[in-house]
Amino acid sequence: MANIELLLLFLLASGIVSYFLTKWKSFVGSVFTIFSTMFVFASLAMYGFSGQLDTTVNVIPVLSFAQTNIGFYFAIIIVFVYLMVSFFHPYFVGEYKYKNSYNVMFLLSLAGVIGTFFADNFIQLFFAFEFIVWTSMLLIPMGKSKKAAVSYYGFSAAGSFAMLFGILVMRSVSGSFDIDLGLASLAGGQATLVFVMFLVAAFSKLGAFPFHIWLPEAHGNAPHPFSPVLSGALVKLGAFVAVFAILRIMPSTPLIDFANSNLPHIPLGQYAVVILGSLSIVFGTLMAIKEDDAKKLLAYSSMSHGGYILVAFGIMTSQAVAGGFYHILAHALASAGAFMAIAAVAKQTGTTKMSELGGMIHKMPITYIVYLVAIISMAGIPPMGGFISKWLIFQAVIDKGMIFVAIAVFFGSIGSFLYVFRPLAALFLGQELREYKVKVKEAPFLMLLPMLIITALNVYTGVIPSAILNFTNGMLVDLGLAPVSITMWDIVGTTGTLNPALIALVFGFGVVIAFIIFIVLKKSKKVTLMETYTAGNFVHDEQLLHYTKDFYAPLERLYIKYTTIMKEFYETLAVKVKEIGRFGKYLFMNKFIGTTILWIIAILLFLLVGEVL
Amino acid sequence: MSITILNFLIGLGIAFFGFVLQTSIAGLNRKIVGRLQKRVGPRWYQEFLDIFKLLSKRATSHGWIFDFGVIMALGGIIATAMFMPLTSTFNAFGTYDNFFIFVYLLAVGMLGMAMSASGSGNPWASIGVMRALTTMLAYEVPFMIIILTIIKIAGSSLTGIQLYQQAAGNNWFLIALPLGGIVGFISLMGMLGKKPFETYIAPAEIASGPMVEYGGKQLGMLFIMHEITVFIEVSLFVHLFLGGATNIFIFILKYFLVYTLANLISNVNGRFKIDQVVTFFYKWPLILAIVQAFIAIYLGWVI
Repeated sequence: MANIELLLLFLLASGIVSYFLTKWKSFVGSVFTIFSTMFVFASLAMYGFSGQLDTTVNVIPVLSFAQTNIGFYFAIIIVFVYLMVSFFHPYFVGEYKYKNSYNVMFLLSLAGVIGTFFADNFIQLFFAFEFIVWTSMLLIPMGKSKKAAVSYYGFSAAGSFAMLFGILVMRSVSGSFDIDLGLASLAGGQATLVFVMFLVAAFSKLGAFPFHIWLPEAHGNAPHPFSPVLSGALVKLGAFVAVFAILRIMPSTPLIDFANSNLPHIPLGQYAVVILGSLSIVFGTLMAIKEDDAKKLLAYSSMSHGGYILVAFGIMTSQAVAGGFYHILAHALASAGAFMAIAAVAKQTGTTKMSELGGMIHKMPITYIVYLVAIISMAGIPPMGGFISKWLIFQAVIDKGMIFVAIAVFFGSIGSFLYVFRPLAALFLGQELREYKVKVKEAPFLMLLPMLIITALNVYTGVIPSAILNFTNGMLVDLGLAPVSITMWDIVGTTGTLNPALIALVFGFGVVIAFIIFIVLKKSKKVTLMETYTAGNFVHDEQLLHYTKDFYAPLERLYIKYTTIMKEFYETLAVKVKEIGRFGKYLFMNKFIGTTILWIIAILLFLLVGEVL
Repeated sequence: MSITILNFLIGLGIAFFGFVLQTSIAGLNRKIVGRLQKRVGPRWYQEFLDIFKLLSKRATSHGWIFDFGVIMALGGIIATAMFMPLTSTFNAFGTYDNFFIFVYLLAVGMLGMAMSASGSGNPWASIGVMRALTTMLAYEVPFMIIILTIIKIAGSSLTGIQLYQQAAGNNWFLIALPLGGIVGFISLMGMLGKKPFETYIAPAEIASGPMVEYGGKQLGMLFIMHEITVFIEVSLFVHLFLGGATNIFIFILKYFLVYTLANLISNVNGRFKIDQVVTFFYKWPLILAIVQAFIAIYLGWVI
């Protein structure tokens, strides 16, 4: 039996060990990190699926744990992403300035993950949640920019404090920090308050509109092996909080309840979530289309996918929620795969800017395949996992007849073809640039291994989803929803039946036919990439034949002037906050010491009077 | 239902039928357009000759992704065509002909072609792909809103949608949802890459865009792919808006009329710039689609 408490202690202990090992030799310390993470993943996977994790507490006095289906689902996905990413450490950690703390922080944040998802009371959940924020905040500045960490922490802190406020409100109502008790005790205005507070936390963690500013900063500037963790794993913490807010705090008033039954019957709060989720999808897509840095592009795509998860939860039918849960898994795998492929390229070339890269496919074909499969899943194209979740979400949107939300989800779905294709075309395909012709080579085996595992899982989730959907059905039952009807091969939606394995099989059949046609015909003559049609001109430089900069320029021109509005809003907000701070400083801390004392006495009196009342 | 190898063979037969049908009709259309322009026009089987000539020629290849992309493109499109029902009673995989398969499995083929074109290392090809994807972003959203309305009314199985329209008392969706029919047809023009939405081919401007580097068997295979893609798109319109077909002859007739109309409109139009395509589709077609969806779903007025 795997004991949660022992796993936590194990992670703390191995964090200390890895500190000294990494100090001695970074490669050894990183390999130790891989094995520690693998041990935790194996213990969870071995006992967790049958619900046999030992949650008793023997050593640490205050803690208490519980295993829930939802918590375990999130935990296993996130720990899996951690495990996969840890394989990158031997090749990256040695370069960082504080290399010994890197592995420690990595393992400690993993401990925080386990603490969060197996917590059985809110205050412990909050502390574990904060623990993740603090450890990951120390990891991010080891990449390109220190400012990114400030931005990340700023939004995370806003979310965390909002959540703490919500938790304390629940505590004052129910008298305990217990999760089920607290959520059940809410009613009326307090329910609305906690709902809003938890949503602030969920949105800021998920990087959804309007709290999305930190996402590209943090994802784009984090160390290369940590970006997959941020996007594939830690962002999903927001979805976890969103489950509490949207699905468990029960709505009170339906939106517009005409006698006509054609209108979507969704409570006002949830409807607002759906609208904000739709805005996240649209803005994330538009921003991703114009982005030049591959990692920032994927970060904006995370924002858009966070929007899909919020839309799914907000619609609240069993299909939508199942789609949302499945999307969490599909996006975690797809985004981890894509980020890891980009990290492998960045390791070889030292840049993630698409305008500076080209033709990587010739030296890194396996990395290319990994990226290709990941983006097929991300764009929601069969036969990959993203298709299943998007199909379920579409079913729900259509079933509810939500026209404007449909515009957003379809726009995001087609738009994702545009932005995921950009790194594919600009970074992997096209002319092989001269500076990369010699020194670039395929990533080492230890880095390819996790990428290939993720690729296989991307395909598995898209072909045989029934096992996972069975598990999410268990989660739906926990939430009081009807399970989605599935058989071994079919998923039955409200408007039709889907057989993912058949689609994959037919696709394979089609490719085989095409391959036969290709192979029986005359063999082609191989020519170089420079031998292309140039309208009679002699072009001698690869760079001149490589179309990458401002790829979607005609489309971008239509909306480029509106893209900075949110950033400017937050900058203005920051200036205003600073001004308030200066005003406070002026009041309290000017050169007359007497003013400061006066204010202190006044506040003390105020508090004392308040206590007497 | 249980799926056997027979289903796969029927599916392959449908894909092949689609290829032959569309290639013949495209040849006939070349003749019709020729008469429109006071020319004689080529023979109706000219398209077949072109494709077979290309398949028999020796070509150049720009690396493995260039070839692999072509295979993936043709394979994806054949797979999509295999799901297409021909009439309301004849298809390969029963009720698994879910609408979303056609939109998204088609995208695999498109992705393969885009990948192959970008892999050729020619900037015209990349520009063509960029324009094709942008055009897709333009026409797909209004189209999907109309599809949402249809699916909400009749379910998402294409056979089911045909049967719904053929049932007594129901009209074709072209009549039942008149605004939707208009939007559907405009989107079909975009899908087919007919003028004025021909921006991503634009032979005089970007040298046929994605196709610029191809020759020989690769180009021949992409021609086959293009014909089957057109078959899928026009058949979708026939099944979604024109009540499908009860037998194969009605299907061919409706198919011929739709394709010829699109082609005739195409031949009297100029070409939009790419940003005009986007602004066009996000103006009237989108507004019409929203109005139609609102009328049909919230007010329940379906003629």
